[in-house]
Amino acid sequence: MQVEDSVKRVVTCCAVTAAIAAGLGARPAAAQTPSNVSAAVSPAPDAAAAPDDQTQEASRADLIEQAQSQKAAALAPAKRAKAEEYITRAGNAFLGGQIRWHSFFHSAYAGGGFTLGAGYTKFVSPHNTLDTRGSITFTGYKRIETEFIAPGLFDRRATLNVIGGWREATQVGFYGFGMTSTVDARANYSFQQPYGSAMLELRPTRKVFVMRGGFELTQWKQAEGSGSEPSIETKYTPEALPGLGAQPVYFHTAAGIGIDSRTAAGYTRQGGLYAVTFHDFTDKEGVNGFQELDYEIVQHIPVLRDAWVISLHGLLQTAYSKHDEQIPFFMMPSIGGGSDLRAYASWRLRDLNSLLLQAEWRVLANRYLDMAVFYDAGRVGPYVKSLKFDELKNDVGLGFRFHGPAATPLRIELAKGNEGFGLVFAASQAF
Amino acid sequence: MRRALSFVAIVLLASLAVVPVSTGGLRFYTDDPIGREPETRDASKATPLGIELFYEYAYNLFVTERKKPSNTRALNLNTVDEVPDSSWFTNRILDATGAPNLSAEHVARGPNSDHKPAPEQWVLLREKTAGTTPGFTARDANGQTWFLQFDAPQYPGASTADVEIATKIFWALGYNQVETFITTFDPRHVVIDKDATIRRPSGERTRFTHDDVRRILERAARNPDGTYRTSAGRLLPGKIVGNFRYSGTRPDDPNDLVPHQHRRELRALRVFGAWMNLVDLKAGNTLDALVTENARSVIKHYLQDVGSSLGMANDPGVWDMGWEYFYDGPAMRRRLRSFGFDLSPWQTVQYTEYPSVGRFEGDEFDPTTWKPQTPTSAYLELRADDAFWAARRVVAFSDDLIRAAVHEGEFTDAAAERHLAAVLMKRRDRIAQIYLAQINPIVDPHLSPNGTLTFGNAATAAGVAEPPTSYTARWSWFDNATGATQAIGETRSATTTIVPPAGWSRDGGSFVEIDIAAASVEHPSWQQPIRTYFRRTGDGWRLVGLERLADQQIPITSPERATEEKR
Repeated sequence: MQVEDSVKRVVTCCAVTAAIAAGLGARPAAAQTPSNVSAAVSPAPDAAAAPDDQTQEASRADLIEQAQSQKAAALAPAKRAKAEEYITRAGNAFLGGQIRWHSFFHSAYAGGGFTLGAGYTKFVSPHNTLDTRGSITFTGYKRIETEFIAPGLFDRRATLNVIGGWREATQVGFYGFGMTSTVDARANYSFQQPYGSAMLELRPTRKVFVMRGGFELTQWKQAEGSGSEPSIETKYTPEALPGLGAQPVYFHTAAGIGIDSRTAAGYTRQGGLYAVTFHDFTDKEGVNGFQELDYEIVQHIPVLRDAWVISLHGLLQTAYSKHDEQIPFFMMPSIGGGSDLRAYASWRLRDLNSLLLQAEWRVLANRYLDMAVFYDAGRVGPYVKSLKFDELKNDVGLGFRFHGPAATPLRIELAKGNEGFGLVFAASQAF
Repeated sequence: MRRALSFVAIVLLASLAVVPVSTGGLRFYTDDPIGREPETRDASKATPLGIELFYEYAYNLFVTERKKPSNTRALNLNTVDEVPDSSWFTNRILDATGAPNLSAEHVARGPNSDHKPAPEQWVLLREKTAGTTPGFTARDANGQTWFLQFDAPQYPGASTADVEIATKIFWALGYNQVETFITTFDPRHVVIDKDATIRRPSGERTRFTHDDVRRILERAARNPDGTYRTSAGRLLPGKIVGNFRYSGTRPDDPNDLVPHQHRRELRALRVFGAWMNLVDLKAGNTLDALVTENARSVIKHYLQDVGSSLGMANDPGVWDMGWEYFYDGPAMRRRLRSFGFDLSPWQTVQYTEYPSVGRFEGDEFDPTTWKPQTPTSAYLELRADDAFWAARRVVAFSDDLIRAAVHEGEFTDAAAERHLAAVLMKRRDRIAQIYLAQINPIVDPHLSPNGTLTFGNAATAAGVAEPPTSYTARWSWFDNATGATQAIGETRSATTTIVPPAGWSRDGGSFVEIDIAAASVEHPSWQQPIRTYFRRTGDGWRLVGLERLADQQIPITSPERATEEKR
């Protein structure tokens, strides 16, 4: 029956197409009769015919009407192809807020390796969402959290994020302090961390000037590490390594200001970010409290209408203890990993101060794919003045980024440094 | 197996099916050439069917783009190679015989009636959901419904001018257009309809609020007095039944017989789109409206949104529109291989930018390499004869007509207005240079009662080619019933007037077939004759048939090939 229907429909289509072609007068090339010019000049075949000899015959209009009548007898409802129908449904569901499950590839902590996860987002009002998500890695890093996002506060000038969750990292590397640490010196530690935070980002003029502020209540429960490397307590004592075995409860406040002219933090080809953020970590026990200042500069310079973008990034982090308290080793600034020193292991360099310098030469392949060569350099040190530009650890690499107008869902990079190669799969922009 | 048998059955039945509607052997009928494609059947059963944006993009970029053109002659032509008027198209800039038809006043008026919007008060009905420019659906003080769209803050005056100018020009070219006016929007005189809703990120529709108005207007260019310049498009009459597609036919419209990819006016959008830089050439920007004409419901096909034209085709951060498809495999691979050093033309072309014009240039413009955001089936099916037809219409826009259309953009910067008109003229001339001279450009053949043949040469008339050294006419009597011909003879002339051969007699037959070729060293393709047919009438001869490139049709070079050849 279906075959009969399709035959009938195609026949009708072909018939009316031929009819209209003949009807209007256009002759498809395949139907054209080659010119058949005889050499002799002789009376024409219809020479005897009167000029109006065909007035009794059917007209073009009649032929067209005949074809239209045929089609009218076999009308069918206009329908979408199946693929189009599926895409339409998916699009409606997505735009209509009906798709609530989403993937979530963020590890509990950097260095966790390949991550699997999922989330469930629910609108709790026309604009505000509640997202519950979790992830796990093959190395046992786990994370579960719920985030409330209110993006349109104060006449769309502010966004409020409130997060509550718990995470565990099982084998975070620690290589010692300073630039003389070696990759062979790695020891692993773990931690569990419940946390709750609220952060408000305010753009008073809805333009580039940004203020951020918020607080977090959290506890870091540092413990022995797992994995193939020795656990940290087998190599260090609490006297030698500040914070070893500590489980501080922090009231963390943060405040920052900046100029952010990027089109989006997740992907941009122009603009920059110039920001300073102050952190205060107050330890409930008065033992592990400290403060930290982060200075960050990002600048994207498009060249030849985005044929290339030169992207520069600088990040200086400096931590200092409060009174006679100590800064736990696991809270000190650190560099190394998939978004900073990309050929180096996560948390490879650690000390009270860190400097990261990155440069990328991004090449636009098309509107949704960039490739880039990059250079990362950085160092750590006990003092700010020790962050000199010589003896930097550095790497170079090549990467591809699949991105949208405002996000980079997939970044694949290969970096080479003097400690080997680093292969990066990430679901965010490097900077 | 079953599928294969079905296919064979379909082919066999299809080949037989042409019999009941065959022309009975007659080549020309008494009403040839028809001036209008009739719509004789009621289409009131047509139901709304839109096209899904992502599907259309993906299909066109990854399926349509890889199709080879069928090299099929356009199927909606009358016997003199012209597009008759229809529910799709109305011959305006040139009439159905190819003669100039519009004055500057006509072009300036375009599709508009005298009933302008009354902007004293706007009652907002809903937000604008399509396109990137901010806007509303609103009722004016007279109760008329309009679609309002505003200029982006960085391009004040540009989008509104763009819509106005493009609407006038595409109307003059022959397409059904929406009435549009440039008017003002004063947020102090805005009322929100009690039933107005807006779709929230959650997907639910909730009441439209004044904060929503402010949010939308934050993305619009504001005048110093607090008002906003806006382009108002009138609500189309009739019932909207979705978009038309650039291939196939509507199965629910009995009058829609020609597959859309074989409609010349849709193929020609590749030429017109290149001229106007209409990059958003997607089916989603079209509309089918069920209207009543002659007491019958018919579907009228609108090229509804032509606003992504001229310099407004590019967003500030997007430079490749008009130069590359949304996804352009060859260009992407070239950039990947060369690490971006193999520059594309859009990366170096120089623009003279005015805020009210945007990026629009005519010096580097090449219609053969121009690309919309996504190709359509009709775009790919364009052939040289279609392009020639289209180019004649572009060339019919004199400098004065172009200035008249551009003036409708109501520019506040006279230099911007002059610049835009100058670029359109340059692009027009480039189209003429390429498409008018590409094939035998003989037009408007006329046979006098005494047998003197006269005609025009569109390429030389446009000043894009030198006259040929000679024209040759090969004369034959033609049998309208059998298609047989008998040669009369061949005559030659250095001018566009050719006398009949010896042996010619007015009473020799009812139809005469004349092949006309031109000898040009510069353009060897002109040797390919156009074939004309004249029917004897009471007082002379009437042109009833014209085929350009009758036996040797050629598709247009693909943009990729043209780009490679340029490189």
